[in-house]
Amino acid sequence: MSTPVLGAERPVSSSSAAPTVVRRTGIQRPPIERFGVAVRTAFLVVGALLFLMPFYLLIRNALANRREIVGLKFTWWPAELQWTNFAEAFSSANDVPMGRAMVNSVIVSVTQTVLTVVLAAMAGYGLARIPFRYSKLISGTVLATLLIPSAVTFVPTFVMVSSLGWVSSLRGLIIPGLFSALAVFLFRQQFSDFPKDLEEAGRIDGLGWFGVFWRVVVPNTGAFFAAVGAITFLGSWNSFLWPLVIGQDPSSWTIQVALSAFTTSQTVDYSQLFAAAVIAVLPVLVLFLALQRFIRQGYESTGSTG
Amino acid sequence: MTSASSVASSSSGGPKPTLQQWYHQYGEEGTKAAVDKYAAAYPDATVKVGWFPGDYDSKLASALLTADAPDVFEAGNGPSIDAIQGGLVEPLDDLLGDTKADFNQALISRMSYQDKLYAIPQVIDMQLLVYRKSLLDAAGVKPPTTFDELAAAAKALTDGDQKGLFVGNDGGVGILTGPTLWSVGADYLTDDDKVGFTDPSVATAFGKLHELFASDSLLVGAPSDWFSADAINTGLTAMQFTGLWTFPDLIKELGDDFGVLPWPKFSADGAGAPSVPIGAYGSAVSAKGKNVDAAKAFVKYLWVDNTADQVDFAQSYGFHFPARESLADQATKLKEGTAAEAVKILQQYSHAQSPLLWTPASATALSDAVTKIIKNGADPASTLAGVVSKVQAELKRVVK
Amino acid sequence: MSAPTVVAPRPARRGTLKQRLLGPQNRNLWFWVFVGPFLVGLAIFVYVPILWSLYLSFFDARNTVTPTDFVGLDNYKFMLTDPAFLSSMGTFLVFAIFIVPVTFAFGLGLALAVNRTRWFQAFFRSAFFLPAACSYVVAALIWKMSIFNGFRSGVANGLLGVFDIDSVKWLSVTTPPWYWLVLVTLRLWLQVGFYMILFLAGLQRIPPILYEAASIDGAKPGWQTFRYITFPQLRATSVAVLVLLLINAFQAFDEFYNILSNFGTYPPYARPPLVYLYYVALGSQQDLGRGSAGAIILAILIGLIIVLQARFTREKKS
Repeated sequence: MSTPVLGAERPVSSSSAAPTVVRRTGIQRPPIERFGVAVRTAFLVVGALLFLMPFYLLIRNALANRREIVGLKFTWWPAELQWTNFAEAFSSANDVPMGRAMVNSVIVSVTQTVLTVVLAAMAGYGLARIPFRYSKLISGTVLATLLIPSAVTFVPTFVMVSSLGWVSSLRGLIIPGLFSALAVFLFRQQFSDFPKDLEEAGRIDGLGWFGVFWRVVVPNTGAFFAAVGAITFLGSWNSFLWPLVIGQDPSSWTIQVALSAFTTSQTVDYSQLFAAAVIAVLPVLVLFLALQRFIRQGYESTGSTG
Repeated sequence: MTSASSVASSSSGGPKPTLQQWYHQYGEEGTKAAVDKYAAAYPDATVKVGWFPGDYDSKLASALLTADAPDVFEAGNGPSIDAIQGGLVEPLDDLLGDTKADFNQALISRMSYQDKLYAIPQVIDMQLLVYRKSLLDAAGVKPPTTFDELAAAAKALTDGDQKGLFVGNDGGVGILTGPTLWSVGADYLTDDDKVGFTDPSVATAFGKLHELFASDSLLVGAPSDWFSADAINTGLTAMQFTGLWTFPDLIKELGDDFGVLPWPKFSADGAGAPSVPIGAYGSAVSAKGKNVDAAKAFVKYLWVDNTADQVDFAQSYGFHFPARESLADQATKLKEGTAAEAVKILQQYSHAQSPLLWTPASATALSDAVTKIIKNGADPASTLAGVVSKVQAELKRVVK
Repeated sequence: MSAPTVVAPRPARRGTLKQRLLGPQNRNLWFWVFVGPFLVGLAIFVYVPILWSLYLSFFDARNTVTPTDFVGLDNYKFMLTDPAFLSSMGTFLVFAIFIVPVTFAFGLGLALAVNRTRWFQAFFRSAFFLPAACSYVVAALIWKMSIFNGFRSGVANGLLGVFDIDSVKWLSVTTPPWYWLVLVTLRLWLQVGFYMILFLAGLQRIPPILYEAASIDGAKPGWQTFRYITFPQLRATSVAVLVLLLINAFQAFDEFYNILSNFGTYPPYARPPLVYLYYVALGSQQDLGRGSAGAIILAILIGLIIVLQARFTREKKS
């Protein structure tokens, strides 16, 4: 736990402007080295193509017919683009309620993101900045849960949630995942580095504890909120084990569970399955590219908590 | 419609209870619409249908623990022994009355525990071997009657991308365990609830399945698994172990170019016999529901009294066999051609899929062992011996 | 509560208790306003389940969460002698021994290459990072259906076809265990970009002056600078990456379940601990007693690994 939190070390004002230009050694390369540069570039190009290939397959399959997906020969591109796959994947004739699952996923991910960030930011601030006798002890009990991977506790948590009668409900999907010790930890580190004089200035202006937090601290750490929010959203949208366990009734399935059920159902329509998968992935990819900087920054601080 | 009207009365005047009814996903087109229609037609309660693609058994097992358990649900071969002993399901004997004798007795006893019936069989499903007549003729192969003949036929029918036999992408682990046991005269459990597969011939038979898997004549890695007719219809295989429910597809694609067989006995002179596994989803009532009596009344309405819907359910969406003998005559589609032959096989060779006391833990232990034998070529005798103690522990737990 | 706080002044005796409870500037009150909601949730949804699970693990709890049949340590004895559970631990070991170093090497290699390239750096970084946005469910779908299916329509077999090699049934055969190739490449694709980002961040924190000094000392750019400057400077990042990789490998579930499960059954090979527990506790077996015992054993094991890891790093540091 004592490893320095490298991502959070930057001063607040520049944290939203993480350097994107990479420093180079500044040494002119001798001609012999050109060979190395060529090898490296080739490695990168081939690697990038390999890494993008699955996305190409995903889109190709969504526009292909069944025979082109699972036939006996490889198909580069569908002979005829089957745009109807998308409509059919969401039609009610389908046994898997894709539309409903999509709506559930949006509700769950958005709610979970907002609430997780609010709860964790407040707790992180309290632990970092409000002097309290048992603060260390409480931080310890929070951090201890980081040692127990959440996936190991899925049995007991299911037991707990089912005894509350929350199986197959949005409550059951959302609430148990709201208490992220990791997010608290990240916020606590971030707020510990927050300049004290800014807070003091707020206090002189007559703000109370909450006022300082809300009017001074939050507006100055917006980028960090975006980073934690983006990571939480991705994790929530893509999570599978918990929604699988808790979503027993199809009306409470998330998009990941619906896709999984689609694959294991008796009548798999592969074209529709992939069309649904594209719909499940594309919005997140777009969001991901748009917010890439924040997500990277968030991950960087996650990575240095080890 | 006033509050004075009797709540107990099930007449259309009183407030109707709401019932949850669960089905697993049936692959045949139109089944969902059909069960919705049956539910909507019931006058005495509002019935909401739950329809579950994917792993239905797990969902059902964990739902039965919670307050949201479905009032009425179907369960493969009836509720599990743990659900019955845990008091999670209601006995249903009083719903049948005189009609009890009309139901398939093998299934009635499969769904009973200590002389109480816990589910009403809906329709009978059967697995069996289908083959392309023309391909066998062209290769000069006769329909096999022993395992060795089957393996030889599979070899003779293999030609490039077309393989001889398809028994599932797992090499038969999922669907051939029972037929293999019966093919040498063994069984999962003996009649007095002891482990039933300790005879050395069982190991020999499973060893042969590994040889088949290792040969080039068995289809694996097919896009659609054994329960769909795709593999045989698209020419990936000449013979396939599949379900009676694929008949509409088979007839549509192959016309009368297909024949049916039971899984053959292991050898001509052994103790075994040809066999086909049969099973049925049984309709059961949760004991924890808020409207147990209304749920029972609905089950009686749909699966005892309403014979027209039962016939419709059995033969309109894929082929199934009615669970009641008096209805078999009305299932006209089962009276002609290859379907009639399948019915003959069913009457002669059927075995209930697995016994009631064969718990999921026992099933996992045996299927793990069979996977190791078939796929990895593990020594059959010692691998099977490792299962015995696990099954004995389970039997000790559930035999009361 | 009896020890008086040093800083707090002592006004009149009346109201002391209230004031002490609220703290100076109502600090205590505000502490609980900020931290309380989270702590209550953490207690209910993390601590209570863990304790309840501990309780269940001492009972015969089939099909029930309120068992009455106390069995002592029987569930632990059963799990620790259950060959299937032990082999799931073996599966984890095999998986971890492979996936941890390989992901580490690829992540670091990509980071070094991307860091030094002059062309399209942003493009390359995005291309490798993009899979991190994809879910295991969708990736498993693509891997199973379009890359590693048993026919030429799959990319892998299509490629083999170019060289006239017979199609391989990647997911049906166990000798050789090709299914590992499917599982490992999937996880690599999804994870490498994330670790590349961590390494890139680490690389950018290395002061350039170190490289300049090395070049003056005659160190050749390439292996020598990597060996003596880059890699030692990345130590903190490397340790974090290793821990994360190990924990993630322990939690493996999604891709295994989506690639290998088959109608409520799962083959006995490539079955990691979490998949096995899922079938024991929440599958049709519904054995919450043994499932909880297994979960507790896993938690203890992970705790041990992390403690050992921490001790190991501390020793290296001093």
